[in-house]
Amino acid sequence: MSGDLAQSPLIEVSGVSKRFGSFLALDNLSLRVMPGEVFGLLGPNGAGKTTTIKVIMGLVVPSSGKISVCGFDPLSGSVEVKARIGYVAENPIVYESLSPRDFFEFVVSMRRIDQVAANRMVSRLADAFDLAQYFDSPIATLSMGLKQKVALIASFIHQPPILLLDEPLNGLDARSSRIVKDLVSLHAQRGGAVLFSTHIMEIAEHVCTRIGIIDHGKVIAEGTLEQLRSKTEGKSSSLEEVFLKLTNEEAAVADTARMLREAFLGNETH
Amino acid sequence: MKLTEAWRLSKLPYREVVYRSLAQERGRMWWGAFGRNPSDRDAYEDVELSKRALRIAKFDKLVVAVFNLIVSVVPFASLLLGSTALGLTSSVSLSLIITFGFMTLYAIQTLSSFVSAESSALLSTLPITSNDFSLVTLFSFVRSVDYLVVGSVLSQVVLVAYLTLSPVATALMFGASLMNSVFAVAVALWFSRVFHKNYLRGGRSKRTTLFRGFFVLVWGCLLLGVGLLLSMPYYVLPVLDKALLSVNTLSGILLSFVYPFSAGLAIAKLSGSSVPLVTVFGASVAMAAYALAAWFSAKWSLGTVKRISIGAGVRIDRLRAVDFQIKARGPLRGYVTKDLRVTSRNPATAFFFALPVFETVIVAFLATNYEVLRASTVIVATSMGAIFTLLVPLALVSSEGKEIEYAKTLPITPQRMVSSKALITMATYVPVPFALVCLALLKPLTSWFTILIPFFMVISVVSASIFEIMLFLRSVGRSKIAGIVNDAEKIFAGLLTILVPEAAYVVAYLILFNHAFAALTMGGVTLAELWIALYVLGRK
Repeated sequence: MSGDLAQSPLIEVSGVSKRFGSFLALDNLSLRVMPGEVFGLLGPNGAGKTTTIKVIMGLVVPSSGKISVCGFDPLSGSVEVKARIGYVAENPIVYESLSPRDFFEFVVSMRRIDQVAANRMVSRLADAFDLAQYFDSPIATLSMGLKQKVALIASFIHQPPILLLDEPLNGLDARSSRIVKDLVSLHAQRGGAVLFSTHIMEIAEHVCTRIGIIDHGKVIAEGTLEQLRSKTEGKSSSLEEVFLKLTNEEAAVADTARMLREAFLGNETH
Repeated sequence: MKLTEAWRLSKLPYREVVYRSLAQERGRMWWGAFGRNPSDRDAYEDVELSKRALRIAKFDKLVVAVFNLIVSVVPFASLLLGSTALGLTSSVSLSLIITFGFMTLYAIQTLSSFVSAESSALLSTLPITSNDFSLVTLFSFVRSVDYLVVGSVLSQVVLVAYLTLSPVATALMFGASLMNSVFAVAVALWFSRVFHKNYLRGGRSKRTTLFRGFFVLVWGCLLLGVGLLLSMPYYVLPVLDKALLSVNTLSGILLSFVYPFSAGLAIAKLSGSSVPLVTVFGASVAMAAYALAAWFSAKWSLGTVKRISIGAGVRIDRLRAVDFQIKARGPLRGYVTKDLRVTSRNPATAFFFALPVFETVIVAFLATNYEVLRASTVIVATSMGAIFTLLVPLALVSSEGKEIEYAKTLPITPQRMVSSKALITMATYVPVPFALVCLALLKPLTSWFTILIPFFMVISVVSASIFEIMLFLRSVGRSKIAGIVNDAEKIFAGLLTILVPEAAYVVAYLILFNHAFAALTMGGVTLAELWIALYVLGRK
């Protein structure tokens, strides 16, 4: 990572809004991810996490606002931005009729990666994720977890300065989850930036150095876990409790749990 | 479970089968373009896609069934018109061969999704017995080929009844038609299983590549065979008649044992035709053996369907990779390689690469009818090849499917995608001019300048493919994957691009009656088209 980049944010989103018809997916959203940071994007379903990532990636055109990725605009500098990002979508989209080997060859060719470097990275990652049995099988025949591994390897191959990971641990076994967490931490230690979307609190708690809680397309709280705790005046509370307090869901969740308990216990007595 | 209920339930796995087969083999989805207009609802929704797939499948099945019905009637044409020159034996035999080829081709496309067994996965979670489950799966299988089987059996039976007025001959035709359908479905099921198994195994061994090539060849040969049989019944029928009905000749006796000539000979004898006794004996023995084979084929097919229904579709023998070595290419070569791999793994789209052979045969077939290779022949032959080639961009873009979303995350420009696909399209067309050069060496040309027509057409094909692909990708850019289905009329943009230079040739020739001037005009127009195409592409 260059010295210049180390001083400025690698991702900067300023006042971005995105409207899909009458639905406001992002509402004047702003965030920054600095080099060496693992920024966790937390939020309930439909909060705008995936849209935020897609806007940064340049896959969705924002209605207003400004985005900068390594100093480039994702729309006018689309190729430059995509060259600097390793992206894993929420549902891994890969060419299913290709085998992982064919797919990596395609990715490496598109990214103009040197053959020796590409082979070194692919060999190590495929070995780490235990892909030997499936390396020449069509991706369509692989399980969801294996497809996720293929998508993850493809995002790491070019050793980009930025990783945009949308629910990257979906479907992964314990061993692979651990490897991904280690890779993410290692990437940050080397000065890279990671934007990590998840709705699993434990993962965010263990992996992210800073967390942004997003709700209804807005970042409603941002900071380290300690800073978030202090905002809710609950020093010892878990991230889940912090999250529910900040999204004003605590009372609603308690009501739902009570209702379900009554429904289930009621059924048992019948 | 009641049969009616099982039939109703079978719509669910059947819908899944057609959805998968159409989603995998989007090349066929162009049928849908001529259906209803795109709805205002978001085509990306799965429900909408599934409904559309079913609608397309119904339309597709109906069109294929009608076509199958027509081709089953064609061999009887001369008999229906009152000519006695051609016999019932050859007409019945040819009709059976053509419908066999047609049904097999169609069934392979649909059944390749059926054999994966995943279509019944949802049903397997329901609390129904294994027998009911098998019945539902069997019905969903029947739904895949129902129109085709009913259509061809009915047409052949009605025709034989009308032509022979013999109830026994009609009954035998009914039996032979049923046997024909049973054989076609069994062969299609076997091919689908073998292909699916090979596909699942993966790997890059020579065996895998050879098998894939072989499959495409068989696919192409079947299509070509059906096409040729259809195009020249008047060449084939007299020869066949002579061979089949010659008294005591070895060819007649041998053919009487071969399906479906044995059926043709037996039906002809029952209708009162004069057939040598030894041939009738051979045909009768053979028919009994084929009936037994059909019974075993039906049993095998039903057993296979049952095995698929219980999840024992195809066992995957994965090949463990011995190394993780990959080959880095440049972006353009990388994209071309990816496109070729994605398209060639699917029998329906893979056949698009066999189109040059198909085109060349058509071109050769056309040209052999003339003593001199005229400019008009060259123009028509060139157009035939170019029109077939226009389907290649559609196949290439549609085989990207929703995975194009991944390509959008890569640091490549849309121009790269367009160039890759235009290059493949051009390569598909390139054999045509060389085939015409070969023909020009055999048959004199009215003017040597006319041989430039197919070469100029290469430029026009590149322009046409650039326009087509850009239009298709615009639909994809709007996140409307299914939009491709409704936007197939964009092929007409390509069609116009290839017709304009040819029209220019004709007009220029009519002005000066000079082939050199006409060829130069055509060349100028094709270059102008290419300039426009590249300019529009560069501005994107």
